[in-house]
Amino acid sequence: MTLILAAAIGVLFGSGAFLLMKPDLFRTVVGVVLVANAANLTLMASGLGRGASPIQPLGEGVVSDPLVQAMTITAVVIGFGVTALLLSLAYRIYATSRTVDLDELSHAEASHEQELEREEVSV
Amino acid sequence: MSIAVPLLIPWFAGAALALLDGRRRWVAWSAVGALAATFVATCALAAVAGGENSVTVAGGWPAGVGIALKADALGVLFAVISNGVLLAALVFEVSAGVRSRLFPALTLFLSAGLTGLFLTADVFNFYVFFELAMIAAYSLAVYGDEARQLRAGFIFAVVNLLGSFLFLIGIAAIYHVTGTLDMAAVAERIAAVEPNAVILIAIAIFVAFGVKLGLFPFHFWLPTVYGSATPGVAAMLSGAVANIGSYGILRFGPGILPEGVRLGATVLIVIGTLSILYGALQAISRRSSQEVLAYSAIGQAGYVLIAIGLGGPAGLTAAIVYAVVNSLNKALLFLSTGVRGFLVGAAFVVGAFSVAGVPPSAGFFGKVELFRAGVVEDSAALVALIFLGGALSFVYMFQIYQHEFWGPSRRSGPESPAAVRAVAVGLAALVIAVGLWPEPLLSASREAAGVLGGGG
Repeated sequence: MTLILAAAIGVLFGSGAFLLMKPDLFRTVVGVVLVANAANLTLMASGLGRGASPIQPLGEGVVSDPLVQAMTITAVVIGFGVTALLLSLAYRIYATSRTVDLDELSHAEASHEQELEREEVSV
Repeated sequence: MSIAVPLLIPWFAGAALALLDGRRRWVAWSAVGALAATFVATCALAAVAGGENSVTVAGGWPAGVGIALKADALGVLFAVISNGVLLAALVFEVSAGVRSRLFPALTLFLSAGLTGLFLTADVFNFYVFFELAMIAAYSLAVYGDEARQLRAGFIFAVVNLLGSFLFLIGIAAIYHVTGTLDMAAVAERIAAVEPNAVILIAIAIFVAFGVKLGLFPFHFWLPTVYGSATPGVAAMLSGAVANIGSYGILRFGPGILPEGVRLGATVLIVIGTLSILYGALQAISRRSSQEVLAYSAIGQAGYVLIAIGLGGPAGLTAAIVYAVVNSLNKALLFLSTGVRGFLVGAAFVVGAFSVAGVPPSAGFFGKVELFRAGVVEDSAALVALIFLGGALSFVYMFQIYQHEFWGPSRRSGPESPAAVRAVAVGLAALVIAVGLWPEPLLSASREAAGVLGGGG
């Protein structure tokens, strides 16, 4: 089980990191989501044990660790909120710049810098 | 008084004000009132810090089971300074006129997140408050809604989220090796853990906070964000949000993972040195004053890191004094670049002197504490480095001063409202006051360094 989880975390993190390097706003957002889920799985994996579900009244024998599940659900919710924020930011960028291509956006940044420098010279 | 009070005020006020239009004057000023109440409540915590009533366990659970809030000298000091900076920046923006309906509420949420983060005694809760503060910060970074700010805000959010997830993985690892989330218990049990695991955890957490603080190899997002944000927001980011980084490294480094800091001391000092040199040299080559200040922030973060790397009571005290003074300086400088009029130039000069470490400004004592740490640890190279860094910061600060306040074209702008100028001048007066009477800050920092068990 540990091996499967480790592999899943690795694949998720790797794919997320790969998508983060793409020059596209929405691929970047998906990359962040994948990395977030890799972190969530790591949280789950940190307290992995076999046992009954930790719900009152407790059954016989070993009970699995409820704390990691509580932490993971919190992290999932936070990740969800963050994704919504990122998507709305990406949409605002699209609405103002009419592009989701990060290369084009950085061109806009560079031309802004040049403008500043021109101002500097004219002053 | 319960410790939860300074946390609940901004939280509830923020939630209520989020429903109202923050551009109305009374809504914005009631946000200022709530933040002022938070500030007073955090100051009042200083009285109970470290005493018997300094722990509140949420939900009435017995201690050790429930999630605890704990007010110790270190957390309270950072909470006071961060809320103070937020208050100054909010008064500044509100007097200049709020342009977005959510701005006052977001500032309150940022305050709730920061206060919670500095007062929590639970590792996972730290992450929750950390995200609360950061989400408010991401939204504040795009305040103004210009295309350039949106681009910067997106980069800010993506890079810092990666840092946050790395931190989350670090927490998972801490829980895995120690089986607890309570900071004190983690610090106790981590000593018995295999050093290799401790080093991996320490690296993950250090990188996460390094990103927040904008240390040299993780700084790339910082100049764009600080450079494009409005002066008030830039002051919040560099004076309050960046405190997460210094506080986090102090709390998790010497406080929880002293073994990791001891083994990595050389790395900390090298990264700190690189940050100082890189920040100062880049700052000299920039023209836009906000960008100069952004690079200067990278350099100043380096001093804090070096002091932590030196360790020992002297080093930790120096790190805390420097972090506090630096957030005051940065708040003052970012705010005063956005103001025009009588006495504002003088306020800026006070900030510039303070960054360079000239008496009688607060920055002088930051540098003195660093020198002391350098002498105690017998490190001539460090003393030379601080001197060089101070000289370089003198150069870039006066470049901006000349550019902003002497240039004929820049002075012609309309004079800013009196309240806005009063904030800048008030902060400058505070920086001088701390420089003239540094004893309260120094003793608070010494006490705070004492909290960090292993090192203190």
